[in-house]
Amino acid sequence: MKAKRVFTIFLAVLMIAMTVVSVSAAELTNQKPGGQTEVIAKISGSTPPDPGSVSYVITIPEVVDFQELEYPSDTSVPNYSDVSYTLKATEINNLDPTTQQISVYVKDQNATVNGDQEFYIANKSDANIKFSYDVYNSAPVGDNSVNINRNAMTQAAGYYLTGFKEQGETLDGTLRLDRNQLAAHELADIVGDYSGYMVFFSAVETI
Amino acid sequence: MKTEKSQKQTDKNKSKKKTVLLIAAVVLLLAAAVLLTLLLSGAFEPKQEKNDHKGVVGVISDDWDDGIEEESKPQGEKSGTRIPGYSAAEMNAGDESLVLSIGNPKENKVGFFATLKLSDGTVLYESGLLKPGQGLTEIPLNQTLEKGVYDASVYYQCVLLDEENTPLNAAESAFKLYVN
Repeated sequence: MKAKRVFTIFLAVLMIAMTVVSVSAAELTNQKPGGQTEVIAKISGSTPPDPGSVSYVITIPEVVDFQELEYPSDTSVPNYSDVSYTLKATEINNLDPTTQQISVYVKDQNATVNGDQEFYIANKSDANIKFSYDVYNSAPVGDNSVNINRNAMTQAAGYYLTGFKEQGETLDGTLRLDRNQLAAHELADIVGDYSGYMVFFSAVETI
Repeated sequence: MKTEKSQKQTDKNKSKKKTVLLIAAVVLLLAAAVLLTLLLSGAFEPKQEKNDHKGVVGVISDDWDDGIEEESKPQGEKSGTRIPGYSAAEMNAGDESLVLSIGNPKENKVGFFATLKLSDGTVLYESGLLKPGQGLTEIPLNQTLEKGVYDASVYYQCVLLDEENTPLNAAESAFKLYVN
């Protein structure tokens, strides 16, 4: 009789414990998306990336910084201020370089296909005072270099800048501001801090 | 006669003791089972930070990882901001969330505000400030989508980690969104 009672209590406890375990096992979090299951496999060759996962990382310049712009004393000669920037394919996963590339486009934050397409830095106190600059996909700028924004911007993504196929590839480019623009204003009217922001658009494209 | 009564009383006491011990053992066993279950389920792990930006809730993890093998950074390399990019994402029609790894790589020195949107401008999700190492993998959507293939992107507005969150350059990572 006693043995029967003990066995009954033991069964009841076991059932309660199993219920708690099964409810808990149904709660998967982002931290443990696969629960406790470990699946080991080795697949050779190129595998398609998981939908929704990060398939590449590019490194962009943090800011456009022309430092201090000197007011030109002679506008009959070019007065350029050049700053270099670097773009890098920091990480690439599962890209077939024979048929695919990571295309990178760039535009000013306010540029639109049907509107103003220039790159600008604007006075932080008065955004109406602004100066345009050109973007080159080469550094330094040589006699044969041409700016990528010489033609109209036809895509909302911006001007085509480069295509990356391999991890570690870099692009060294130049931003060029012609300081002769400053001479169109009185110096006292334009002194101040300026800022401009670029938007780098990237996508995996078939080539 | 008295001895027999005393013996019965002793047996009764022993039986009571056994029952109490048995109940105590059962309670301990039950407590151990519950504790073990809670430990396995991660109930004692640190809580994740909730994103309350613009009424859209998402679970932001502090140990977000882009999932791609790390590359050693050569010495003297110029600093910049790492931006995650995507090939594609997938969900079912009517789903209220999307599995997509949106986050700020831990190597960055700046913050992100991320916006998931369609090419027609429809905003599906806006994050709060994502500090380096923060991100989320399941995105709660503002609206459900019908079956089809959409051009989607994540717009990463980079900002300084100062009081004003001073804006920096931005990036937009485009991808195909397949809704089955």
